[in-house]
Amino acid sequence: MWKEIRERESGKLRPNSFSNRIRSNRNSSIQLSNYKEIVSPHRGAVNSLQVDLTEGRYLLSGASDASVAIYDVQRATDYEGGGLLAKHKSLVTIDKQHEHGHKYAISSAIWYPIDTGLFITGSYDHHINIWDTNTTQMVMNFKMPGKVYRTAMSSLATSHMLIASGTEDVQVRLCDIASGAFSHTLSGHRDGVMTVEWSTSSEWVLVTGGCDGAIRFWDIRRAGCFRVLNQSHSQLGRRPPLLQRAATNKVSTSKSLSKGQSSSVKPRAPQRKMAHGNGSKQSAASKIPNLVKSSARQRLHPGLLSSQDRATAHYGAVIGLKVTGDGMYLLSAGSDSRLRLWDIESSCNTLVNFETVRLQTGKAIQLATTQDSALVFVPCMTSVKVFDVWSGTTVLTFRGHYEHVNCCWYSLQDQELYTGGNDRQILVWSPSKWNADELDEWSKKGKASALDEDNWSD
Amino acid sequence: MMMMEEERERVVVVGLIEKATNSTAAEVDPRLLKAIKSVVRHSDSELRLAAQTLMNLMKRDHSQVRYLALLIIDELFMRSKLFRTLVVENLDQLLTLSVGFRRNLPLPAPPSVASVLRSKAVELLEKWNVSYGLYYRQLRLGFDHLKNTLRFQFPNLQANAVRIQQERREREMRTREILVNKFETLKETFSSIKDELQSTIDEIGECLEIVIASDEPMPLGLLDDEEMEEFRCSELRRIRLDTLKEGNKVQETSDNKVVFDALRELYRLLVTKHLVSVQEWVSVLTRVEVADNRCRDSMLKELIDIRNNLKSVKKKCEESGCSLPDTRNNEEEDIWEEGTIESFENRSSVLNYQSDDSSIASTSVKVKNKPFENRNKEADVKEKLDCEDSGTDSDPLRSKLLAEAPLMKWGSFLDSWGSKRDYLANQRGLELEGHWGRIDYDAVIPAEKIAELNVQATLYKEDPVEIQPCHAPLSKGGLCQRRDLRVCPFHGPIVPRDDEGKPINQTSLTEELTPELETNLVDHLAKQAVKNVRDRDKEKAKKREHDKQALKRAKLAKVREHNDAVLRDAALASTSRSSAIGEDVETAGGERSSARSKKQTLASMLKKKVTSKDRLAQRLLNTRARDATERQLTQGEDAKYREAFPNQW
Repeated sequence: MWKEIRERESGKLRPNSFSNRIRSNRNSSIQLSNYKEIVSPHRGAVNSLQVDLTEGRYLLSGASDASVAIYDVQRATDYEGGGLLAKHKSLVTIDKQHEHGHKYAISSAIWYPIDTGLFITGSYDHHINIWDTNTTQMVMNFKMPGKVYRTAMSSLATSHMLIASGTEDVQVRLCDIASGAFSHTLSGHRDGVMTVEWSTSSEWVLVTGGCDGAIRFWDIRRAGCFRVLNQSHSQLGRRPPLLQRAATNKVSTSKSLSKGQSSSVKPRAPQRKMAHGNGSKQSAASKIPNLVKSSARQRLHPGLLSSQDRATAHYGAVIGLKVTGDGMYLLSAGSDSRLRLWDIESSCNTLVNFETVRLQTGKAIQLATTQDSALVFVPCMTSVKVFDVWSGTTVLTFRGHYEHVNCCWYSLQDQELYTGGNDRQILVWSPSKWNADELDEWSKKGKASALDEDNWSD
Repeated sequence: MMMMEEERERVVVVGLIEKATNSTAAEVDPRLLKAIKSVVRHSDSELRLAAQTLMNLMKRDHSQVRYLALLIIDELFMRSKLFRTLVVENLDQLLTLSVGFRRNLPLPAPPSVASVLRSKAVELLEKWNVSYGLYYRQLRLGFDHLKNTLRFQFPNLQANAVRIQQERREREMRTREILVNKFETLKETFSSIKDELQSTIDEIGECLEIVIASDEPMPLGLLDDEEMEEFRCSELRRIRLDTLKEGNKVQETSDNKVVFDALRELYRLLVTKHLVSVQEWVSVLTRVEVADNRCRDSMLKELIDIRNNLKSVKKKCEESGCSLPDTRNNEEEDIWEEGTIESFENRSSVLNYQSDDSSIASTSVKVKNKPFENRNKEADVKEKLDCEDSGTDSDPLRSKLLAEAPLMKWGSFLDSWGSKRDYLANQRGLELEGHWGRIDYDAVIPAEKIAELNVQATLYKEDPVEIQPCHAPLSKGGLCQRRDLRVCPFHGPIVPRDDEGKPINQTSLTEELTPELETNLVDHLAKQAVKNVRDRDKEKAKKREHDKQALKRAKLAKVREHNDAVLRDAALASTSRSSAIGEDVETAGGERSSARSKKQTLASMLKKKVTSKDRLAQRLLNTRARDATERQLTQGEDAKYREAFPNQW
C-alpha cells in the first residue's frame, strides 16, 4: 500500500492503474460488513436493489410486499453498541398503505439515471409507477399488459427518456416519461421477457432476455431485433486485440469465406464437435448463420432469417443480464444454471466455464460487476458467488442469507456490495475497513460488553 | 520430524473429538473435553482442524453425534476467537444441521435426541448472540432469521433474568415501603401502645397481688426434707412432691373466682395480643431502614424492655397457676384419652394406672423448675414401660390365655359370652298381652337353644396374599412389575428372583414348594407309588418303540449329516463371510442375555422401539385378520338385507 503510494508519488505508477490496484485490493477483501447494517423494513423478499447513479449514496430497494424503501448508505441514521454498529434505516418507505402504492410484489425498482428526484417501480400488478422522491407521490404510471418483470433506463441516454420493460407479455414496451405513452413495442420474443438491459456503449441499443431462452438486441431507431445470441455459436475466450485479429482475419478469410466472422481457426474444431454433439437442431442452427452471416448481415437486419431468429442463448429462461462497463461483453444467467459471457460484437458465446452450482430458476436475478468488469457477482441460491469474468473461477463465496438471494448491486464508489434475498434482509458486504488497531482502541474505551478475544479459562 | 509431530497431533485432536462424540451420554465426557481444549489451545492449526472435524461430525446422520459435537463447538466457541470466526463463516450450515429449520434437511434419528439437539442449538445461538453478536454480523443474522422469520421460541435467557431481577427489586421496594409505613404509624402510636401495655401489666400485677395475698404460702422445702426418707420408692416420692406443689398453688375458690377470671382474661390478652404485637414491632424496627436511626434505636430498646417485662409477667402468671385455660383443656383431653387406652391395655394393674394418671396430671400443671419437669417426664415414660412389663409379668396365665384366645368379631353374642343360664322368653321384648291363648310368663329359653341361636357365623375370608411381582429383568432395564399369580404372560412362571432379576436356586425351591403344596403327604406318597408303577410299564413299552425308532433315526441322521456337509462345502466355496455365520448364530444364541444388557451404542439408539401399539397393529392389520373382519361385516350386511327383504333372493 505504502509502496504504491510512493510509486504513485514518484510517477512510476499511473493514476489509473494506481486506483485500479487499490480497487482490486479492496475487492478481494470484501466480506460481510459487521459495522454497517441496513435495517430492512420489508416484509417480503427483496427483489431489486439499486444505488443511485449520480451521488452513489441512496439505495433503492423493492420488495415482494409491494414496498419500496430508500436508504442513505453513506450516513447512518443511528448507532448501536457504542458506535460500533451503524444502522441505516430507510429514509422513505412506500408500501401498500400509500394511496398509489402497488398492490402486488414489486419486481423492479430503479432510479432515474439523471438525478435522484425520480424513481421507477415495476410490479406484478401490471403497473409501472414513476415516483417523485421528495414528495413520495406518484407522478405517472403505465398500465402494462401483464406482470412487470424488469424495467431499465439507459444511463447514457441524452436524447430519450425511455423505460424499457420486460413483462409477461411477449412484447417489450418502451415507456416514454416525457409523453406518458408507449413509444415502442418490440416484438420478437416468444415468451415473457424476464430481463431488459440497456447497452452501456450505445444509448439506442437494448438487450432483452426472455423466458424462451433468447437474448435479443434491439436498435430502437429501427424496427425489429438485429441480433439474437446463439449458445452454440462460440469462440474460445476473449477476442484477441485488434491487430492480431486483423492478421488472423486475413488468414481466415483467405481460407474460407464462410467462416469469416469467427476469430481464429483453432476453436473451430471443438466448437464444431460440440455443435454436432448437441443434436441436429443446434448444429443446423449453427451452420446456417455461418454460411450466411458475413455476407448477408446487413441485408438480413430488419427481419432475420427465421432459423437464426429461433436461436437460443440458454436452454431455459434467461433470468439475468449484465452488460460490462465497456459495453463489449454481456453476461447472461439462465434457468439452466449457466452463466455465459458473450462477446457482443461477434455475438459469440465465449465458452467461459463459470463454476456455477445452481441458480434459482423461478425469478429474475440481478447480477453485478465491478467497475473494470473483472469480477461478477452472481446470486447462487442462498449465497452470492464472485467469479472472475475471464476465467470463470470462483473468487469468493458470500454466505450470509438464509434464503435465496435475488439481487445484488455493486457500489462503484465504495466498492461495497448490497445483496437482497428472500429472507427480507439487505446485507452489506464491504472491504474490511476496521483494522486491528482501531478495534483495539475502540475496545479499550470499554464499551464492549464482552470483548471478542480468546478466553481460555482452563 | 516436525511434520511427523504435527501429523501425530492432528490425529490426536481428531481422535479425541471422535471419541468424545461417540457416546450415548447426554454430556460430553468432561475429561475428554478438557483434553480437547488443552490440545486445541496451543496451536491454531489444531483449532482449524478441530473446527473442520466438528463440522464434519455435524453432518453425521445421527442426532446424538451432532448433539455432542454441538456441545464441543459451544465450549470452543466461548473460548477461542479464531474458532468463532471459523464457525461463523458457516453459521447457516451449522444452524441447518443443528436446528434443522430447512424443510429438505430435517434432523436425523433418533427423534428424542433430535428435539433435544434443536432446543439446545437454539439456546446456544441465543447465548452466542448475547455475548458475541456485536462482533459477528452472521450471528445477528442467524438469530434474527430464526427469531423473526421462522418464529423459533428462544429461551430468552437474558430478558428473563432481567425481568426476574426487576421483579425482585420491585418486591423489595414494596416491602421497604410497607415497613416504613408501619414504622411511621408506630412512631405516632408508640406512646399510646406503651400506655396500654403498661396498664395491662399493672392490672395483672394487682390481680396477682390480690390472689397471693389471700393465700398464705406454705413452707415447701422443709416438709420435703423431713419426710424424704419415708418415701423410699422414687415413684411415691415424686407423687408426694407433686401433690405438695399442687397444694402450694393458689386454689381457685368461690371467693377469688372473680379475680382469677380477670387474671385469666388479662393473661390471655397478654399472650395472644400484646406479646405478639410487640414481637412484630421489634421485627419491623430491626428491618426498617430509615434516616432517623437514633429514634429507631431508642424505640427498639424500649420495645425490647417492654417485651422482657411482658415475659416476666407472663411467667409470673403461669407460676401463680392461672395458665391459659384453653391449653389446659387440651392437656386434660390428652390425659383422658391416654387414660382410656391404658385402661384397655392393662386393666389389671389398677395401681399403676392410677399413678400414671396422676403423673400425667402433674405434667399438665406447669412445674416450677424445668429440669425437674424433664426428669418427671422421663420417669413418666419409664413408668409406663414398667407398668406394661409388670402387667404381663404379674399375670402369666392371662398372657398365655391371651396368646391362645381366638380373635372374635364384635357381635351381640358377646352379651351372653360364657353364660349358661336360661332366659325368660317374654323378657325378650315380645308383646304377649294382646295375643289369645295361654301365656306362659315363665317360659324359658333353654341355654342350649340360646347357644344355638347365638352360634357365631363367620364369613370365610381369604387371607390377603400379596402377589409377588414377576421381577424378571426387562430389556430396557429395571424389573418386570407385573403381578400374576402363577405365570407372567411375558416371562413365564413366576419364580423368586434376586435384586437383579436372576432366579434364585430354582431346584431347591421347587423341592421346598412341593411339600408345601401337597398338604397330604400320605396321599402324595400313594400317588407317587402308583405313578412309579405305571411309569415303569410305560417305559418298557417305550423302550421297545424306541429301539425301533432308533434304527430309523440313525439312518435319517446319516443322510442329514451328509446333506449338511455338502451344503456347508457349497457355502464355504461361495463366500468367505458365510463361514462365520454359523458360529455367529451359535454365539448369539448363547449370549443373548448378555447382549441384551450390553451398553447402549449409537446404532442401538437408531433402532426403532417396538411398542405395544406396533405389535397390536401387526396383529390386527395383517391381511388375514382384515379379511376376516371384512367378511364378517359383509355377512352381517347380507343378513340384514335378507331380513329386510325376505322375498327377494
